[in-house]
Amino acid sequence: MTQYTICVYGENAVGLLNKITIIFTRRRINIDSLTVSETVRKGVSRFTIVIKHEKREEVEKLVRQIRKVVEVLAVFGYLNHDIVYNEIALFKIPTPVNAKPIDIDTINKVYKAWVVYWELDYVVIEKTGTEEEIFEFFRYLKPYGITEFVRSGRVAVGKTPQGLVEYIPEEMEWEYAV
Amino acid sequence: MKTSEETEILEAVEPARFLSGGQALMESFLQEGVDLIFGYPGGAIMPIYDALYDYTDRINHVLVRHEQGAGHAAEGFARTSGKVGVCMATSGPGATNLVTPIADAIIDCTPLVAITGQVFSGLLGTDAFQETDVIGVTTPICKWNYQVTDPDEIPEVMAKAFFIARSGKPGPVLIDITKDAQVKLMTRPFSYKKVEKLISYNPRISPKPDQLEKAAELINKAKKPYIIFGHGVLISQAMEEFRAFVEKTDIPCASTLLGISGISVDHPNYMGWLGMHGMYAPNVMTDKCDVLIAIGMRFDDRVTGDAKRFAPQAKIVHIEIDPAEINKIKNADAPVVGDAREALKLLMPLVKEGDFTSWKNEFKKLEAPEKELVTDRDLKAEGQIKMAEVVKMVSEKTKGEACIVVDVGQHQMVSARYYDFRKPHSYIASGGLGTMGYAIPAALGAKFGAPDREVVAFIGDGCFQMTIQELGTIAQSGLPVKLVILNNNFLGMVRQWQDLFFEKRYSFVELQNPDFITISKGFGLEANRVTEREELSRALDEMLASDKGYVLEVVVEKEENIFPMVPAGTSVSEIRLK
Repeated sequence: MTQYTICVYGENAVGLLNKITIIFTRRRINIDSLTVSETVRKGVSRFTIVIKHEKREEVEKLVRQIRKVVEVLAVFGYLNHDIVYNEIALFKIPTPVNAKPIDIDTINKVYKAWVVYWELDYVVIEKTGTEEEIFEFFRYLKPYGITEFVRSGRVAVGKTPQGLVEYIPEEMEWEYAV
Repeated sequence: MKTSEETEILEAVEPARFLSGGQALMESFLQEGVDLIFGYPGGAIMPIYDALYDYTDRINHVLVRHEQGAGHAAEGFARTSGKVGVCMATSGPGATNLVTPIADAIIDCTPLVAITGQVFSGLLGTDAFQETDVIGVTTPICKWNYQVTDPDEIPEVMAKAFFIARSGKPGPVLIDITKDAQVKLMTRPFSYKKVEKLISYNPRISPKPDQLEKAAELINKAKKPYIIFGHGVLISQAMEEFRAFVEKTDIPCASTLLGISGISVDHPNYMGWLGMHGMYAPNVMTDKCDVLIAIGMRFDDRVTGDAKRFAPQAKIVHIEIDPAEINKIKNADAPVVGDAREALKLLMPLVKEGDFTSWKNEFKKLEAPEKELVTDRDLKAEGQIKMAEVVKMVSEKTKGEACIVVDVGQHQMVSARYYDFRKPHSYIASGGLGTMGYAIPAALGAKFGAPDREVVAFIGDGCFQMTIQELGTIAQSGLPVKLVILNNNFLGMVRQWQDLFFEKRYSFVELQNPDFITISKGFGLEANRVTEREELSRALDEMLASDKGYVLEVVVEKEENIFPMVPAGTSVSEIRLK
């Protein structure tokens, strides 16, 4: 199974996410992660979808069928080496009295993770990295007892000098989102 | 901006009053040239029907008996007229009854705009009376769908809807309009701008020159080229260009089921149609050609059988408007993405004149076994009347110029085989979805779309009972739609499969049929039954001469199997003649 990252650019329309995901459902492809955000162009959303698949041709067919959805502007399928990608994870770790103190120094320096919130009896640590890096950190933290753990979907940009939005049809005046 | 006279008068009398959502919808229809709607009213669409009441001088509304009938009638209309078919239904059950025709339209690329009423926007998501998430239900089967909650959106959304439905690879579009959006007034004057392209949807019409050159190179080098063409030739109105292309290159051609009537059966290069129940030579020769030129077709499994073993030796040129179809089933050595008509026009100067007489003769040679084992047997005047005889006789009596509408099953294949199609847009069938019950409403729609043509439907006794209530619609329309029931008291195709592949275990395929004549007469149609061969010709004459809706029941051979047949999932080389 090879991991593919599919980036879909679409008009920011109600129901578009559903129109995209049912194409995966129809072909019985499970979505590993999904993130949606507005791009630098106002009104254009970017869906970053991670899947695993055995056959490249099938992924190509999927990409072409997604492109067929009327509100979709562009679709790109990537292998991992084509992109720079990351995820964010948050860990909630209890800090009861008399417990083994957590080693902030190791967390910061070795794992490049940060305490982003704390109370008397727990801390919240944020870790950015790949899926593997996050799970490595997970294994490190496990002995401290993880009371809550959440991982975001993948965000990714292509390893090309231009931004992908440049491929989107230019015929319309786009406002920039920021 | 142009509005209809009525609106101008309205605005002159009450300058401050803008159109209601319902009126805006009617004005949008007029802007798109819609003068015919098939529909059924109900609670959540009443304001639209109220608006329609003032437009009946410009828009004809056909009241069907079930919303499925509205959808298929709109499809039939679209198929013969080349225009977008329009149907309307209320929310909830009205809308869900449209699901089958919408699914039918997407797979057969039929341009359709369906309008559904919806509950008040404030009630959305609350399980209100007759509330169904129609957008959710129809998303997988619509080319595009959209829910309108504000009347101001209507002109823009409708312009988009009609553009999407008719352009590129045509398909169904559903617009769901909440009741408040139908009632509320617009906040500005009605203004309509037709859409010709969208930022996110702009199908390629003219193929790229390098793709055309590569295709032409393959075609020119071929020793045994073979064209298979589909619905795309008819949809893009490429009949003339296609004939010219075939004549210049002298390449033999065969059609898919829905491509039938794209070229006249009399054309010397036309070899017949291919597929599961297609003709012998067109099927077998896919294994013999060196270059296969596929035009406006999508390698459906009913055409290819086992796709891996379909024409493995051939280089494939695939002319197709939808890029998602390229390499979907068969890899194309030379894909040409664009409209079939444009592609053929541009290919013409690039291809050289050919003479494939001996290659064409290889097709002709295969006709002998098929004639002996299939055609002669099907047409032999002994025993009970056979479906083939009826179709052949209608073909002769109408000189192959009628528009033939068929339902789904054995009679569908027999009609395709034995009717000699000489005019385009003459085989109206539910090909992709195989929707039983299609023919009665589609025949009515086809007649509306081609009022000057003879419309004859061949319908099985099973299919006939799936949309039998639309006989009432035909009667009310007063149109002379001719329906021929080929009655074998069986679900014939399923019975055939049970016979061939399930050891004759006839599981629930025999029907106890009603008296079709009494029913048809009860609906107000003329009707007649034929059981004897000697009566058939006169009965058909009577039917064709009638200026009213007419049902002719022909009692046919009970257990007849349809051949040739490529058993599902096998290679076309395993085609059976008996």
